[in-house]
Amino acid sequence: MSYQDETKRNKSIVQALPVAKNEQGGADLRLGDIPLRQEVELVSIDLPAHLAEPLLERGVLPGCRICPVRSSPGGDPIVSVDGSLLALRRETAACLCVKILSQFQDAD
Amino acid sequence: MDELQPPVADGATAAIAERHEPLVALVGPPNSGKTTLFNQLTGLRQKVANYPGVTVEKHVGQVRLDTNREIDLVDLPGVHGFSARTLDERVTRDVLEGKVEGIRPPDALVLIVDSTRLENQLMLVEPVLELGLPTLLVLNMCDEFSERGGSVNDEALAERLGVDIVRTSARSGEGVDGVRAYLAGIDTSHGPTEHVERTLSNQSRGVSLPVVDAFAARRKLVSQVVQGADFVPPGPSVVSDRLDSIFLHRVWGPLIFLGVVLLVFQSIFTWAVPLMDGIDFGVSTSGEWLSTTMPDTWYRSLLVDGVWSGVGSVVIFLPQILILFLFLGILEDSGYMARAAVIADRMMFRVGLQGRAFLPLLSGYACAIPAILAARTIDDERDRMATIFVTPFMTCSARLPVYALLIAAFIPNEPILGPFFGTQAATMLGLYGLGIVAAIGTAFILKRTILKADPTSFLMELPPYRIPSLRTLALRLLDRSKIFLRRAGRVIFAVAIVLWILMQFPRTEFGAPGIEESALGQIGHVIEPVIRPLGFDWRIGVGLVTSLAAREVIVGTLGTIYGVETADEEAVALQEILKRDLTRGSAIGLLVFFAFALQCMSTVAVMRRETAGWKWPILQFSYMLFLGYAGAFIAYRIF
Repeated sequence: MSYQDETKRNKSIVQALPVAKNEQGGADLRLGDIPLRQEVELVSIDLPAHLAEPLLERGVLPGCRICPVRSSPGGDPIVSVDGSLLALRRETAACLCVKILSQFQDAD
Repeated sequence: MDELQPPVADGATAAIAERHEPLVALVGPPNSGKTTLFNQLTGLRQKVANYPGVTVEKHVGQVRLDTNREIDLVDLPGVHGFSARTLDERVTRDVLEGKVEGIRPPDALVLIVDSTRLENQLMLVEPVLELGLPTLLVLNMCDEFSERGGSVNDEALAERLGVDIVRTSARSGEGVDGVRAYLAGIDTSHGPTEHVERTLSNQSRGVSLPVVDAFAARRKLVSQVVQGADFVPPGPSVVSDRLDSIFLHRVWGPLIFLGVVLLVFQSIFTWAVPLMDGIDFGVSTSGEWLSTTMPDTWYRSLLVDGVWSGVGSVVIFLPQILILFLFLGILEDSGYMARAAVIADRMMFRVGLQGRAFLPLLSGYACAIPAILAARTIDDERDRMATIFVTPFMTCSARLPVYALLIAAFIPNEPILGPFFGTQAATMLGLYGLGIVAAIGTAFILKRTILKADPTSFLMELPPYRIPSLRTLALRLLDRSKIFLRRAGRVIFAVAIVLWILMQFPRTEFGAPGIEESALGQIGHVIEPVIRPLGFDWRIGVGLVTSLAAREVIVGTLGTIYGVETADEEAVALQEILKRDLTRGSAIGLLVFFAFALQCMSTVAVMRRETAGWKWPILQFSYMLFLGYAGAFIAYRIF
């Protein structure tokens, strides 16, 4: 089997993921805008499937909780998600639509 | 189907059935301790090769069980899923589905996960369980899991997942006997596994969901399963967090990174030198001994000047490569390498590469061959291509003898900054800088033309810091040196033999011809018009041809041509003679040529393997040759 063919096929099934729809109708919030230690919930991933998949596999899924824990010396976010520590580029963080957890949700 | 097969059906199948040892595949996400467990189980009884047609390493070993029985264990690459997005994922999927030539479908699976990140890692489990093979789930790093307050009911978890469960701490060896016991219990009395169509999917079986929903569904399933097993997630790792606040500190982070890079450098160039000198001495004295004890025949020259010196020119790099890989292994296994990649990423991203590229580029200062192999950790294919394309610009140690000879001969040592930094040191530094500039410029161009990659492609998991296991380190060193000797050895060896033959013909009545009359000398004369504009004559031309075996070979060749031995005391003599044939400008041109040109057939051969074709190595060789020629031409005019 040709691996090259398969790459092509794999890339051809790229499908767009749902973009965040902000219920309040305001500007949508991105992970990159979130201050350190503020836990948020991921709403959607604004990336084509082949770029989103590595995130999905590591548990970065709509509905999951993400917390920026520190920023790298270069200014890129390092987040805690699903028990792991992930380093992203700020370009990636800007594609992650999030919402701030209300205090009720935070308590559980 | 459950009835026992009669032991003999017909001759052929019986033979296969008798020989059949169970094959078990070891599957798990990266950083789950998979390789450590594999090494614990197989020790030295393992082999590394490549999967057919791809650059993914195939690790297969034998596990000797107490019952005097053996099973085969294949260590699959660490993956997060089976979407076949990366080569690793494709290979893993194909092996599990039984589609890889030369590997029979596995009879059972050992699935290893890092228990400190249990929920996340179990996402890999569901698609694997769909295969319907007997599976053992290994909860690794259970010591850390408990220490950090995590707990789970193993029996309940095993029941819910339909697998057997063993807890291990592969590093200390705790629980590994449990894995052995499981392996011993694998029943293969039914003979080879029948080849059934197995397919792994990222989707839930039979339902075609959009990608996101498929993952969400799987993650939800995992949550339900672990909740039913009274799972309490472990608290955050305080130690790792503390260390991160140092290693990823805005100021200390980059400083420590720089310190680590300098330490690796220092070790390659200082600590390896006595060992390399020792090997050099050993090879040359044994060569001399050979030539005095053997009768003076044509094959003595082949053996001593061709074979033996060819072997020597490969082995001499081994100390550096071992030291380099020892360091890199420690950095990798301790978890620091992931942090270093994060620190380097922003900088590398600006020039069109990514954080993981820093490791191959650093290795490139020792030798491009292990460096190009090390680039396999770069998961993005375009980033990997760009990285291995520019890696040979890093000043590898084979360039150093050439630099040392020419600088000593043509650059007068005048102090610039005190007694320790003079014009000679500045030239050396300049040549290193030239390589870096060429690499950055090339990467910059590549990423804006043929190798565009998305900026969101970099994603780095930061595993908790751990103390590296000596056993794993040692086995990896052994592995790496074998691969290096095989890859570089074959090519350098072959080129050395070819060069020897070219020097022996056409035969004269006195035997071997003088170097100028030999086929090699004639080649030098043929290319002389091409290199004239650089101020080189046929002698340098011969050197350029022989240095294709390995760059430093030009020193020995020039020694032979000018009739001086290159032992230390006579190196001065070679410098003096060179001054007659080269001007300062052409000598600097030669330095620049060596800084740029890909004078290394082993690198070309490795590039062909790693890119699965001739396109990249040919492009790379021509591009670097052009840069080298142009650079030498300009340098000759300026100086």
